[in-house]
Amino acid sequence: MRTRVALLLLVISAPWVRSADEPLPKAEVIIDRFVEATGGKAAYQKCRTEVTTGAMEFVGKGIKGSVRSYKAEPNKTYSVTELEGVGTIEEGSDGKVAWSRSAIQGPRIKSGEEKTTSLRLATFNPDLRLREIYKTIECVGVETIDGQVCYKVVMTPQEGSPDTRYYDKKTNLLVRTSIILKSPMGEVPVESYLSDYRKEGDILVAHKLKQKALGQEFLILIDKVTWNRDLPKDRFDLPDDVKALTAQ
Amino acid sequence: MQSVTLGLTWVCFVSLITLRAAPLQPQQRFKLESFEYVWATIRDKHWDPKLGGLNWQAVHDELRPKMETSDSISQDRAVINEMIRRLGQSHVGIIPAELYNDLDSAPAAATDQSSEDGNIGIDVRVLTDSGNRAQVVVTTVDEGSAAAKLGVRPGWQILKINGKEVATLVESTTELLRNSPSRSITLLDLMLTRAILSKLSGHVGDRSQIEFLDSENKPIELEIPYRTPKGAKARFGYLPNTHVWIEQRKLAGNAGYIAFNFFLDPARVMSVFEDAVKTFNRCDGIVLDLRGNPGGIGAMAAGMAGWFIDKPEQRLGTLYLRDTNLKFVVNPRRPAYRGLLAILLDGASGSTSEILAGGLKDLKRARIFGTRSAGAALPSVIERLPNGDGFQYPLANYISEGGQALEGTGVLPDVEVAPTRQALLQGRDLALDAALSWIKAQKK
Repeated sequence: MRTRVALLLLVISAPWVRSADEPLPKAEVIIDRFVEATGGKAAYQKCRTEVTTGAMEFVGKGIKGSVRSYKAEPNKTYSVTELEGVGTIEEGSDGKVAWSRSAIQGPRIKSGEEKTTSLRLATFNPDLRLREIYKTIECVGVETIDGQVCYKVVMTPQEGSPDTRYYDKKTNLLVRTSIILKSPMGEVPVESYLSDYRKEGDILVAHKLKQKALGQEFLILIDKVTWNRDLPKDRFDLPDDVKALTAQ
Repeated sequence: MQSVTLGLTWVCFVSLITLRAAPLQPQQRFKLESFEYVWATIRDKHWDPKLGGLNWQAVHDELRPKMETSDSISQDRAVINEMIRRLGQSHVGIIPAELYNDLDSAPAAATDQSSEDGNIGIDVRVLTDSGNRAQVVVTTVDEGSAAAKLGVRPGWQILKINGKEVATLVESTTELLRNSPSRSITLLDLMLTRAILSKLSGHVGDRSQIEFLDSENKPIELEIPYRTPKGAKARFGYLPNTHVWIEQRKLAGNAGYIAFNFFLDPARVMSVFEDAVKTFNRCDGIVLDLRGNPGGIGAMAAGMAGWFIDKPEQRLGTLYLRDTNLKFVVNPRRPAYRGLLAILLDGASGSTSEILAGGLKDLKRARIFGTRSAGAALPSVIERLPNGDGFQYPLANYISEGGQALEGTGVLPDVEVAPTRQALLQGRDLALDAALSWIKAQKK
């Protein structure tokens, strides 16, 4: 009897539901549908670089700023966040070294799982290269997110904690991600909600990212995404003070 | 897919004591919404979901009727302050909407001198005389300030500000703390200092009437104009605009000296701090003066500590949030300063000052001189309420690397040295003298 009660509680408390007669699609199929819904594989494959500009704010805290990010194949990235009252925060990867630099912390080279995660997140066109990035990708159920019925896909990387994504069953669009960011400070679960999909070139892009972490809410509003812009050759080079740290 | 990650580097915690007084103006809108917002925020976001065993629903049910019948903004604030005082913690409070006027106004209005806050250019502490009586004493006078031009000197005692006895203010503030739920006496110096400094502030262009006892104990009354405070105006979120200064100088005995009044404006302050540490790299010791510094952006503590730590993976302490823990890890900077480090603290040093000093003390990297700090070290954030007031609440508990909760305890000095009026009149700074003597002795 005790076992039956426990099972009942498990069923009641399960956050996701699906009807027994509806088999879950394979995760690869869900991701292919997302790629198709947002422009198609060919459109993505035409892209070699990405430049994104936007605004960000700490919701309800009066702290606002701007974000610029640059990405290039295969996993190069550089972003600059300018926050009022805080200053400039830079993060980047040249494909081998992941780093950050700010007025408060100075230059820092990431290592261990923090580095692995940064390099993974720097992957250009990640949805076309999931098999390289993750060792398993599995659709584990159906959940309702903000009234949208979504497939829940768990992606386990070669190293580190799994990423979880939620794809809208109806539109095939990605509406939420859950990841755990690791750094020397510790582990921070980050929930991101994506919405306001609009076309930038041939690709449909979420223009509103609402993020929740550490009990706070952060909002990023994308202003523009430009594909295949010629970037300066040294765009992803390590800054001198970061380079000096790699030599030590 | 776009990057949807949140860089930890831009997650900064504000941990600042804000005890500035402000004129109250009628503003009655959204009072119940504001009451409920504060109550629900503490219920949902406070780092301790059990609120230390406090029956939070009962507090709501007791005070909500008072809020419904209050008929002025000052009463509204009193009810909300009564609610949050039940927590018995620092870093929770209401910042009157009036303090945001310059922050919210258009740039043209912000430059209007008449609306700008000013001061007379002195710092004060409440000391006790030989008869154990409290006396408000000038501890520093800013060079070139209005007070300096009129001859005010460290060691002068303040008797009245604008016709009001300061002894009354000291008594009422002490009584307020004695009756507060926390009854944390470590907060007394901080509260008294901020309360008196707020009385010594006013609109630029106006004048204050101050009665002193001078160095010969003769009463002297001066009319001192409020001037723009020293430093540069800094803005951070919903903190009221604050003038931030940082100064550094070489002292006799081959020591460097660095002081600043807030952990704010990191782009400028961290840069000056870095230059100072590099300038003093060959000094036998550095004195970091955090007396009177009530805190600011918590992450700046770890950033500054990086200039004194050359080993990786060292940390000042740990933040305990509602659903995760974060370590205050120090990122070693190069070239790190390897000489002696003395930190000056007093009861008006709070928050980020305590995190930095307490952490470096626990790591055995610094020796602390002065008096016990305020014990007000809960990292917090500030939001705006529906009625326009600011609302500061703690987001995390902080435990220093030595396992000590600084809240309510403070950082204890290694060498306790309290200022005296006599020494100040002689032009002596006893805590600084003690730090320099230590540096000199260690060199030998």
